[in-house]
Amino acid sequence: MSVSIEVRGLSRTFHTTVRRPGLAGALRSLVNPERAVKHAVSDVTFSVAAGELLALLGPNGAGKSTTIKMLTGILTPTSGEARVAGVVPYRERERNARNIGAVFGQRTQLWWDLPVRESFAILRDIYEVPKAEHTARLKEFDDILDLSAFWDTRVRHLSLGQRVRCDLAAALLHDPPVVFLDEPTIGMDVVVKEQVREFLRHQVEERGRTVLLTTHDMTEVERLAERVVLINHGRLVLDGTLDEIRRKFGSTWQVRATLADAHTEVAALPGIAVLRQDGPQVVFGPDGPDAPTVHQALKQVIERYEVSGVAIDEADLEDVMRTAYVQAGAV
Amino acid sequence: MHAVRIMWRVTCLNFRAQMEYRSEFLLMIAIGAIWQVSVIVFATVLLTRFTGMGGWDSSDVLLIPATRMLAHGLFVLFLGRMHGLGRHIQEGRIDIYLVRPMPVHRQVQLQYFPTNAIGDLTVAAGLMVGALARSDLDWTAGRITYLIVAILGGLLLEAALFTVVASASLRFPAADYWGIWLEELLGTFGSYPLNVLPRAVGGFLTFGLPLAFVAYFPAAVLTGHDTAVPYWLAAASPLLGVLAYLGSRLLWRWSLRHYAGVNG
Amino acid sequence: MAVLHAWRAARVTPLGELHAPPRMTAVLLRLTVQVVLVASLWRGLYAHTGTTAGLDRGQAVTYAVLAVLASRLRELDQFAGRDTVIQHMHYGTIVYWYLRPLPPQRYYALRALGEQLYGFAWALAGYAVCLAAGVVEPPRSAAVAGVFAVSLLLGQWVLYYIMLLTDQWCFWALRNNAAVMILIFAQNLLSGVYAPLWFFPDWFVTLSVFMPFQATLSVPLSLYIGRIPLSDAAGQLAIQAAWVVVLALFTRFLWRRAARRVISQGG
Repeated sequence: MSVSIEVRGLSRTFHTTVRRPGLAGALRSLVNPERAVKHAVSDVTFSVAAGELLALLGPNGAGKSTTIKMLTGILTPTSGEARVAGVVPYRERERNARNIGAVFGQRTQLWWDLPVRESFAILRDIYEVPKAEHTARLKEFDDILDLSAFWDTRVRHLSLGQRVRCDLAAALLHDPPVVFLDEPTIGMDVVVKEQVREFLRHQVEERGRTVLLTTHDMTEVERLAERVVLINHGRLVLDGTLDEIRRKFGSTWQVRATLADAHTEVAALPGIAVLRQDGPQVVFGPDGPDAPTVHQALKQVIERYEVSGVAIDEADLEDVMRTAYVQAGAV
Repeated sequence: MHAVRIMWRVTCLNFRAQMEYRSEFLLMIAIGAIWQVSVIVFATVLLTRFTGMGGWDSSDVLLIPATRMLAHGLFVLFLGRMHGLGRHIQEGRIDIYLVRPMPVHRQVQLQYFPTNAIGDLTVAAGLMVGALARSDLDWTAGRITYLIVAILGGLLLEAALFTVVASASLRFPAADYWGIWLEELLGTFGSYPLNVLPRAVGGFLTFGLPLAFVAYFPAAVLTGHDTAVPYWLAAASPLLGVLAYLGSRLLWRWSLRHYAGVNG
Repeated sequence: MAVLHAWRAARVTPLGELHAPPRMTAVLLRLTVQVVLVASLWRGLYAHTGTTAGLDRGQAVTYAVLAVLASRLRELDQFAGRDTVIQHMHYGTIVYWYLRPLPPQRYYALRALGEQLYGFAWALAGYAVCLAAGVVEPPRSAAVAGVFAVSLLLGQWVLYYIMLLTDQWCFWALRNNAAVMILIFAQNLLSGVYAPLWFFPDWFVTLSVFMPFQATLSVPLSLYIGRIPLSDAAGQLAIQAAWVVVLALFTRFLWRRAARRVISQGG
């Protein structure tokens, strides 16, 4: 498979003005501003294959949006390199623009005072999309996103869910091979979210688009992404599958077993510790970095002991990510 | 007392906020200076070109723009945030104000510090000093009191007009457009003796848009000129300002109760 | 294809207006009332005066009414359409301008052009009505009309650049209230919307020669009413054209700096 997005050693530093507190401080800042340096993204390297959906994860302020801005050509990196569909985005912004579509959260690119379809028409002409192709694609988008119900409404009168669906369509109208979505489903209800997910799946699986997505919705990640890249404090923490993340940060499972014979001597198994024992009730947990997954642990427990009942508690992805963000932050 | 303390603190914060945008703050001060020179030039230009305008001496005429501008400057300083409120309403600011335990009107007034009002007031005060110096009138205590009352009345009348527009903005986003026009009308037609205009037009600016009551009528009363309305009505201008303002605040409260929120 | 996107971008404003009939009614009402008021004011002012500052009553009224009509050309409320630079900076949507294969400066110019043409239609209709009603005098000769047309075009061109400057200001200041206020005021005063520049003291007129504002309105209108004779027209047109060139170069430079700024700050 060919590589669609390639990022190597990407870094971005910002210089900001520090405001001093108090009225006197404000006056001093007026005359003599104090500068500070912030490393938004430091030495990030990853790549995305063509036709792959990658979720870029990290807590607020981790550097996700800055990364996306560099890949869309809006921001020039301080150092490092990036290529999107073979183009260096910040060097050839306009050429890159034809290859990509982007939605930035709740920021709309639609024309506020005009019916949505007029915005589509303007974009069609800006991107020079042939009329027949435009009509066909709009029809395709409408089938999944139900746009026609409100596309003659002026944007200012749309609900958030309607507007974001229109923005998604607007970003994909010119058939870009690469799509950047910065928290596209933020603030949307479950029905619309599901609609958007289906749309994205369709665009990746049927149309072969490459999608780079940032989100805080872990259900979304589970449903859409096979691979995730986790960044925190501007640094890459992990690049792998969801399972790998679970294994690394999700070691919070517990196996609660009820022994058939309450007098059995219970000992730790390789990578599995005994957390508590109360008569026949025993609680096993992971031990060390090489702890097995919860399913392997369950198998070992059942093989080793005679149990009359068993239950497992597995941390869901939200918990895993919480652990990941906190641990990665502490590093 | 508590409310006053909060207002003072917020105003101090607003003043600091204005200074956060360095160039903007300095420009705002520059505006004062530019405004100063050009308004005085403008006022004196027309007055010297057209002496005896509407039967008024130029020394008397000067009292009209001076009163108008002083009232306007005070309006901008104390109640000016009513102007241009439509944009904030469209951004959903009112929704935020509605959930805070402070009257919405007060929160609107505390939105930002009107840096440019300082410039406005300086010019206006200068113009007033000039007008009084050139005036041949006998400035008795009664006249001076009436002038002060008239300025406050003009302030309230202007505030009333903008409050009406702001109330309309709560429902119609386009109402802001009328606010811009209103400011333009007040600025251009508020400074002349309105009897130079045809009766119908003067009538419109008296009873349609009560601009004549801001400065023209009070100045006519002070200088003893006849106007198109009975003397008692012209003399009651400050009182009308108070009534209009109270009425507009009632309308504002009513509109706020019927506020249905903005989309987006 | 280039023609198509030009057409689309240009018609954004007129289309937005057509979709909001109350706004159009408001414009019509305001224009009518303003013309009536201004015409009566200047007639009233001239009641006891014959000719002053080289202008007689007819000239002064014509000047004032044309100034009202011309100010319609480009004063639409872009804010309603949320398509001003300041709003795009505020909402963070400026990034989309830099995400399209259409350069922002071209998009901006096309939008402005459509807006100007739309405003021109209004002004032209108003002019026709005023001419028929005898409120304004017709141009004194075909030559005057021709020179006026050229001068008006150049004047609007200068005005476009001045307005562009206040918008470009937002790329650095994040706020442009002050700049816009100065501009509107300077524009109204120095271009002669409030009163023809001819009424002002000599030092003031001299001062305004060094600023671009009088090129926007005062020059074309003075040519129309004959206060600037045709023999002086060539020089005035040359000054207007010079302003166009200077401002074009300067705003181009600023666009480049703005792009660099967006690209270094991320919008």
